[in-house]
This record gives sequence, structure tokens and C-alpha cells, in this order.
Amino acid sequence: MVNMESCDNKTDEELVELSLKDSDHFFCLSKRYEEKLLKYIGRISKFSREDAEDVLQEVFIKTYYNLNGFDPELKFSSWIYRIAHNEAVSAIRKKAVRPTIHLEIGDLERFGDVFDMAGDIDNSLDRKMIDIALSHLDEKYREVLVLRFLDEKDYVEIADILKKPTSTIGNLISRGKKLFKEEYEKLIGVSV
Amino acid sequence: MENRNISQLALERIKEEGIKPISRNIFSIKRVLFWVLVAISFIIGALTFSLILSALFNNDWDLYNKFGFSFIFRTLPYFWLISLAVFTILGEYYYRKTYLGHRRGFILIMGVYLISTTVFGSLFYLIGTGRFIEQSLENEAPIYRHIMLNRYEVWSHPEAGFLSGKIIRVMGEEIEVIDSNGFIWIINMQDVYLRGRVEIETGERIKIIGRCLETICIADEIRPWIGMRKMMR
Repeated sequence: MVNMESCDNKTDEELVELSLKDSDHFFCLSKRYEEKLLKYIGRISKFSREDAEDVLQEVFIKTYYNLNGFDPELKFSSWIYRIAHNEAVSAIRKKAVRPTIHLEIGDLERFGDVFDMAGDIDNSLDRKMIDIALSHLDEKYREVLVLRFLDEKDYVEIADILKKPTSTIGNLISRGKKLFKEEYEKLIGVSV
Repeated sequence: MENRNISQLALERIKEEGIKPISRNIFSIKRVLFWVLVAISFIIGALTFSLILSALFNNDWDLYNKFGFSFIFRTLPYFWLISLAVFTILGEYYYRKTYLGHRRGFILIMGVYLISTTVFGSLFYLIGTGRFIEQSLENEAPIYRHIMLNRYEVWSHPEAGFLSGKIIRVMGEEIEVIDSNGFIWIINMQDVYLRGRVEIETGERIKIIGRCLETICIADEIRPWIGMRKMMR
């Protein structure tokens, strides 16, 4: 087993090269993304933590299997998020559940900052409302809002994860924000 | 509930199941393949554009007055226009499949593709590629005549004085021509005007304007089948 500390000063790209030589190094790479991807899968699915962990395990296996397909022209994080996104969407379809957002406290603060409603979202009811408002959005808006405001990805990264043009991502985010505000206001009955 | 160490579990599974990364060559081949498909779509698109230019510039626009507005619809190179549309869509599709192709928008890709196709297609036309391909298809691919049926149709009205065919015999001021239906016509060229660089020799495909009766035509004008200039053979 590779010592995690020895991986700390290595870039993702270096770890990819090392993982191709020795699979033990892949542990460092997967560990680096484990928590972030688990949250991401949880945010875009209705899965329990256990189910999300199962999906994540498949993500890591697929990532390792396709490791030679990674090209440093793309950020590794975008590449592994794309695999996670595809795997989560595929699992959602298999389970035939409507994807929804599972928000945590930190997520809520970030959303509050973006939509200028920090003062209004300090209780679980508001959290539920944001959750519902996001769930009411079309999938194409929901996924870009999650990546932009919860996973804090930039437009190019989102374009790479979802394999859509950068200009389309900009339009989806702008439209998605507007639709989200409308949905949220409809639910709470006041303007924010 | 205690969280599972997913990274550890994944690594154990990789080792237990002996999972190995797919060869780098497979990905390299896939990437090159899509660029090759983009290039093929582009080259065929540009050649198609040169054929469209060839068809438009060599169309018998001077007959517009005789046939009226329908002449445009009867002689447009539909097959090549559809081909250009198909290869433009294919080019866009394959480009999007390249490694970072998804980043560019549909309009941008289509715009660049169409401008490049126009520029290179015009160059192909200027160096004579369009007419060369058309001539080769006419001579070597019989199916091409069925595809370009509308052009033949315009020149298959002997009763109206419009005839086309291949010269099979030259006899002084008369020639024998076989049309696309296999009928043999005797063409009298006593007062004929030879338009463009048409050459009256066996095997030459020509268009005739004149007065036809039964199997004889008095030709007023003869022009080459493709273009007004003779193709190099």
C-alpha cells in the first residue's frame, strides 16, 4: 500500500502516470476524489449513502480501466467527474428514480450566497424548499447549477464534464438561475 | 453507520479481478480515427462544393427564357446539394466526437466548416477538379446519369428541339448521335453554330438545339455536354 503522505505533493497527472505503472498509486488518486465525488453523486441522485458508495466504487473501477484514455489536455478532475456523472445517470436510470438534490448545510450556504438569500435559508424548511425547487427544474438546468454552485466548477470544466459547448453551459446556468429563483419564490410565496 | 473506505475497496477489487487499464493504443486509434473522419468529411464536402459550382457555372442559363422559372428547379444539382448537407452534418458530428470537440458550439463548428468548404471547394473548382470528377462519373458510373436525371430530362425533348447524346459516327456535315434512351439520331450540321469548345468526334457527348423530326435533326446549335470548354482527357 502506498503511503498517502508520499502522494500529497504529486499532481493528478503524475499520479495517473504512477498508477499506470503500479495500481497501488491509484489509491492516492481515488482517495483524493472520494469525498468530493461521493457528495456529487449524492447531490444528483436520490441514493442512500450506501448506494452512492456502490456507484462511486464503479466510478473508480471504470476510471482505472480507462486510465490510458486520460489526456492532460483536460483536467483530471473534469475527466473523473464526467465518469462519475455518466455512472450516476446510468444508475439513476436503472433504478428508475427521478433524480433530486441532496443538500447539506455547506451547500445551502453556497446557494444562499449565489442567490442573495443568506438570511432566509437558516432552517431545515428552507433547505427542503431549495431541494424541492431544484428538483422541479429540468435535469439540464439542475446538473449545471449543482456543478457551478455546489461543486464550484468553472464553465470550461462543466463543459468538459457534461460534454457540452462552453457557450451552452453559460446559457444553461443563466437560464437555470432564473428558473430556480422563480421556483423557489413560488414555493415560499415571497420574492427573494 | 461507519463510512466504507471506497478507494480501498476499489483497489482490492482491481487486484482481485486482475483489472488492467485498456491499452493506450486503443484510445490513440480512436482519437486519430475521429480526426480522419473529420478530414474525410471535409475533403468530400469541399469536392462536393466544387461539383455544385461546376454544375451552376456550366448550367445552360441562356435557356432560362425558353423554359421559364421552372428551369432553375429542373437543373439545380440536388444530389450534390444534399451530399454537401450530409457531409457538413457528418463533419460536425465527428468533430464533436474528438477529444475536446464538445467545447465548441454547433454554430461555430458549422460556420468554420462551411467557410472552409467554400474556400477549398472554390479552389478545387478553379483547378478543374469539379469538372474532372463530373466527367469521370459521366463516363465511368452509369448510375450517375440516373442521379442527375433532371439535367438529362431538360435535354430529352427532341419534339421541342432539345436533344443530347453521344456521337457514334461522323459523316461530313452529318453525324449520328445515340441519346440516353438508346435512339439513334442523324444530325444535320449544315448551318450549325458550335458553341464553346465542342469537338465533333466519335465518343463526344453533346447537346443539340434544333428542329427534329422522326430520326433527323437540323441542328442550329451544338454545345459540349459539360461546360463550354473541352475537358482534358
